[in-house]
Amino acid sequence: MLVPDLLPRCPPERKGHRVNGPLIVQSDKTLLLEVDHPQADECRRAIAPFAELERAPEHIHTYRVTPLGLWNARAAGHDAEQVVDALVTYSRYPVPHALLVDVAETMARYGRLRLVKHPTHGLVLETTDRPVLHEVMRSKKIHPLVGARIDEDTVVVHPSERGQIKQALLKLGWPAEDLAGYVDGEAHPIELREDGWELRPYQRQAVEGFWHGGSGVVVLPCGAGKTLVGAGAMATAKSTTLILVTNTVSARQWKHELVRRTSLTEDEVGEYSGTRKEIRPVTIATYQVLTTKRKGIYPHLELFDSRDWGLIVYDEVHLLPAPVFKFTADLQARRRLGLTATLVREDGRESDVFSLIGPKRFDAPWKEIEAQGYIAPADCVEVRVNLTDSERLAYATAEADEKYRYCATTDTKRRVTEALVARHRGDQTLVIGQYIDQLDELGEHLGAPVIKGETTNAQREKLFDAFRAGEISVLVVSKVANFSVDLPEATVAIQVSGTFGSRQEEAQRLGRVLRPKADGHEARFYSVVARDTIDQDFAAHRQRFLAEQGYAYRIVDADDLLTGDELDEV
Amino acid sequence: MSDAPRTLAEDLRGRGDDAVATLLRLRPDLLNPVPNDLTQLATRAGTRASVVRALERLDRFALQTAEALAVAPDPCPYETLLALLGGDEGIPEVTEALPGAVDALRASALVWGGDDRLHLVRTARDLLAPTPTSPSATGLGPTVTEATAGMSPGRLQELLAAAGLPATHDPVSAVAALTALFRDRTRMSALLAEAPEGTATVLSKLMWGPPYGEVRAEGASAPVRWLLARGVLLPAGPGNVVLPREAALHLRGGLAHRTPEPHPPAVQPGATHAIATVDATAAGQAFTAVRTVEDLLKSWDAGGPPVLRAGGMSVRDLKRTAVALDVGEPIAAFWLETAYAAGLLASDGEADERYAPTPAYDEWLRLPDEERWAALVAAWLPATRTPGLVGGRDAKGRALSALGPELDRSLAPEVRRRVLALLASLPEGASAKPEALLARLRWERPLRGGADALRAQLVHWTLEEAELLGVTGRGALSAHGRALQGRTEAATDAQTAAAEAAGLLAPLLPEPLDHVLLQADLTAVAPGPLRAPLAETLGVLADVESKGGATVYRFTPDSVRRALDAGRTADELHAFLAAHSRTPVPQPLTYLVDDVARRHGRLRVGAASAYVRCDDDSLLAEILADRRAAGLGLRRLAPTVLAAQSPPDVLLERLRSMGFAPAAESAAGDVLITRPDAYRTPPRSASLPVPEGPPVPDETLLGAAVKAIRAGDRAATAVRKPVPRPAGARLPRTTSADTLAAVQAAVLAGEALWIGYVNADGAASQRVVEPVRVEGGFVTAFDHTADEVRTFALHRITGVAELAEPAGAGDEPA
Repeated sequence: MLVPDLLPRCPPERKGHRVNGPLIVQSDKTLLLEVDHPQADECRRAIAPFAELERAPEHIHTYRVTPLGLWNARAAGHDAEQVVDALVTYSRYPVPHALLVDVAETMARYGRLRLVKHPTHGLVLETTDRPVLHEVMRSKKIHPLVGARIDEDTVVVHPSERGQIKQALLKLGWPAEDLAGYVDGEAHPIELREDGWELRPYQRQAVEGFWHGGSGVVVLPCGAGKTLVGAGAMATAKSTTLILVTNTVSARQWKHELVRRTSLTEDEVGEYSGTRKEIRPVTIATYQVLTTKRKGIYPHLELFDSRDWGLIVYDEVHLLPAPVFKFTADLQARRRLGLTATLVREDGRESDVFSLIGPKRFDAPWKEIEAQGYIAPADCVEVRVNLTDSERLAYATAEADEKYRYCATTDTKRRVTEALVARHRGDQTLVIGQYIDQLDELGEHLGAPVIKGETTNAQREKLFDAFRAGEISVLVVSKVANFSVDLPEATVAIQVSGTFGSRQEEAQRLGRVLRPKADGHEARFYSVVARDTIDQDFAAHRQRFLAEQGYAYRIVDADDLLTGDELDEV
Repeated sequence: MSDAPRTLAEDLRGRGDDAVATLLRLRPDLLNPVPNDLTQLATRAGTRASVVRALERLDRFALQTAEALAVAPDPCPYETLLALLGGDEGIPEVTEALPGAVDALRASALVWGGDDRLHLVRTARDLLAPTPTSPSATGLGPTVTEATAGMSPGRLQELLAAAGLPATHDPVSAVAALTALFRDRTRMSALLAEAPEGTATVLSKLMWGPPYGEVRAEGASAPVRWLLARGVLLPAGPGNVVLPREAALHLRGGLAHRTPEPHPPAVQPGATHAIATVDATAAGQAFTAVRTVEDLLKSWDAGGPPVLRAGGMSVRDLKRTAVALDVGEPIAAFWLETAYAAGLLASDGEADERYAPTPAYDEWLRLPDEERWAALVAAWLPATRTPGLVGGRDAKGRALSALGPELDRSLAPEVRRRVLALLASLPEGASAKPEALLARLRWERPLRGGADALRAQLVHWTLEEAELLGVTGRGALSAHGRALQGRTEAATDAQTAAAEAAGLLAPLLPEPLDHVLLQADLTAVAPGPLRAPLAETLGVLADVESKGGATVYRFTPDSVRRALDAGRTADELHAFLAAHSRTPVPQPLTYLVDDVARRHGRLRVGAASAYVRCDDDSLLAEILADRRAAGLGLRRLAPTVLAAQSPPDVLLERLRSMGFAPAAESAAGDVLITRPDAYRTPPRSASLPVPEGPPVPDETLLGAAVKAIRAGDRAATAVRKPVPRPAGARLPRTTSADTLAAVQAAVLAGEALWIGYVNADGAASQRVVEPVRVEGGFVTAFDHTADEVRTFALHRITGVAELAEPAGAGDEPA
């Protein structure tokens, strides 16, 4: 029997310490893991295959058991017995029977339907359980995606609908096991050039996890070297690769990094962006150019078909735009790797990412990577600014849709920001904001250059280079620098305003200062917030992701800050 | 034997007192009212209702035995019965079990007589014997005698001849000869051996019943014709044939039932778990059960949902409860019904009826967890209310609502008890499949149709409910669940059993904690159940995010404000958090409390009836200090404003009397100028005078009126011709009381009366009658008109009149 005898056979002295597993299984299918428990690591490894880490604050980590997670575990070769065993072994209290039954039933749904390659009919959906096929065939969503019925248990699927039907079946609760395999694509030799550096253990694990699973998403904190995971995957695939990135600056960084770290040469890596349209064995394209619409069509989506790609890498996959979603669905026969730091979308389409790119293959909590020394420790500080009376009155009378803009850009905030910059004179400081007027004003007062949407790519690169070299110590940036801008030297980031309550933006901005510092000192992240306004509510929401990753925000009153001391003590 | 009982009463008389007591225990309906003697008892035991009830309580084999007796001759020797149940070859299990079954039937007075002459009670025989309309469970048809009743002697002779039997002129002996042939296995086999091809197929269709078959109109097939010719099939109405009982028994090898079931099917253990796991799981669920009921009723502290007019809770309220408890609706209905059965909630009986927790709930709350659980389980076990039915519809199509009427099913407690007993009979830690339990229950007490379907549902519900209550864990009976099995069904025994179960459960329940873990993401995790006061305060200060073994709370500005509204101060909250946290209180949480507290109560809201304002604050001070202002309820809100609890006019009046000269202010702040004529109605027409009495009439009206009065007067005073007798031209009219009195008087006096009468067709007539008797609303009287004695309904008599002249001269009605 799989149930170990953690519980005593006969009740010992009344109500003593009887059971002491690190895990508490809640009735809403969340799992609470006590981090300081001696068995915590063991337990974490046991539940990681099927439970999603939802929150990782200091004492208790929350995991969630979802059908998707259970099916992914099935896909990775775990069975219901292992899941039940893990829950029962580590649970502090008896696990509700209903939950165990539900786990077993959910997992049993996986694999009743399979997508396989039929020797004569091509891609087919076959079943081991005839009523299930009947049930899904009656669904209006499935019907247009399938072709002729070959026999009672098998039906033809249009190869182009492979992604769609997987997505639809998932929604119906009968996930299909995809055994149809991948095309190898056009072979192209790529090797990692590990001279004086090597893939970090977790990067290696991520590459292996991805390759073993075929397709999927790798979640690593900002600054933890996602590019190298991409490079590692390419070196494993050894085939032509299409890399999708957020913007041109990021594309150039990818190219630079690939040339430096792999056997690829400048000529083998092409850039497909607004300015250049190169198609090479390894092509880096921006989401922007792919989603440019002309006369109702997306002319650049042809890029997907322009070569026989063996691997498609999606950088910052949480930003995947809707048209690319649609097109990705048609690419199910190619290997897909998604990279992200924060798979939270305010539009709640995370599950679409999972079903189209693939399940999460590797996930490392931020604090764990920090503990290993691969990202800098960060001190997050929320600076609460008291608005002046006149500002409060103006805020109170502002139109509802102008309120955030007003309180996020008040003069008081500007003064506090200036004080913060002054305090960190000598440190490489980034000032990040949402509103261009505010940034321009700040740039003027601080005497610092401003990078915003209208800044040309050349100008951006020039400024970033100067910042990296230490020629400029303060840089004011708009949200164009949210992602994929590699500024290893930045140690202080000051956020003055943001895209309302976006959690991933907050995380990405913190990520700008997380590259490990040469002298190992910690990074500082300030979020300047106007007290008692909507700004504060948004800030609370923005901080949730990081707070759940274990970044405890300190709150400091701007008044204390302006009068001097107190800031650096923790 | 000469002293063999001739009736059931005699048989009972021959039994001991114990046997009679057993009978009364088995069939308690016989005791109500207590019969006078054994004859009466026997008669009552033979009534249809009582026999039906007794048959329903038999287990399957006893019932099969009774069914076999019903198709056997009466009286039936034991050997014949054994042959019917065990067949020609005999089944050892049947041989072993039959004496027990016969004894059981005897004990419940369904069978009487010695083993050589077993009698099935007549009513039982009628109920169980096959008839064309109600086929027997045996699938046997009528006997040859019954099937040939009414057949012409000539036809019978033909049958005999075809079957190769000697002719006889007597139909009775002809039937006997045929019966004897069918009963004789050797001769019958020989006869069937000659049958044409296909006969076996025909017979195999009818052999196990139903014994009736249809014959095509255009002519039967050869085998059927052959069988019909020899009486192996007999006609049963147009186009139908029947296989007589004796022939069927021959084909069956003597078996009355296809599968005799002498022994109950064993309940095979299903999945087996470690005993510790079972107990722990059940204890966890028991804990959840107690908490769920507590949560449910706590949410009704300020009044629960309204009671529907037809009784019960509305579907919407049930849904809401289900959402609040985070369970499905059927499970929510179960918790509601359990709390209801335990007397923890009830309707408040007010005009707009609502459900609310009862005072017993408060007492229940004070009990330790294990005793609370025991109270729930003790209420659940014997309850006839069946929560599983909620959401369904009754026979009339009305929706069955939670806590509503029509949910009682008397079968429920029996099924619960038996299911738990069967689980208890399994090895420890073993669960059982519902199908296996149901098969066993079906054997123990065969039920038909709706009752059987209900029982199947009840078995499922019982297993689910036992799991929900933590009586079972992972489908197996827990140690404390086992203890619930009282020795008997007595109430006191059930209580001791519940107490014992609670004692076993207690050590398995988690110990309440006095601390939580506070985290920087503004959550608090209680890694186990909390002490009641802590849980209560935390429940106000934070929102519950997830429940289960642990509780996750989230602090939000709203939740902190709620705590401040409940009268806590920021300092108290800080102290509370620090006291109950094992780790330092995270800074964001401290800030959250401070931030909310800083803003809390900055705006104040109160009620006042009027205000006094004045730019001179010393004047206001003077008013406040004045003793005469004491009753006005004045309070200084600001240096220049006083709030008053008295209305503006009183305030004005009083201030004037105090020697001030206040001016009233409108809502907009203008000074109100009061002048006597200031207030006007909208345009109105003047009112019309309303004189007393009618208006004075005009001349035309008066003239017409006078003319009319005169005419009437003339008519009344005119000298008329006398109206001729008889008065019989019209029906006399008197009130019914007078009629009755007059008729009764006439009976006593022997006088004749003149009555008006309306017959059943509505035709009126008048008669002269001499009443003889008044009884039950009828008058029996000699009718002079018709010259005979007749009965008249009293209510049809329109009226009576005494006759002035002697009767007999009555005229014919007009």
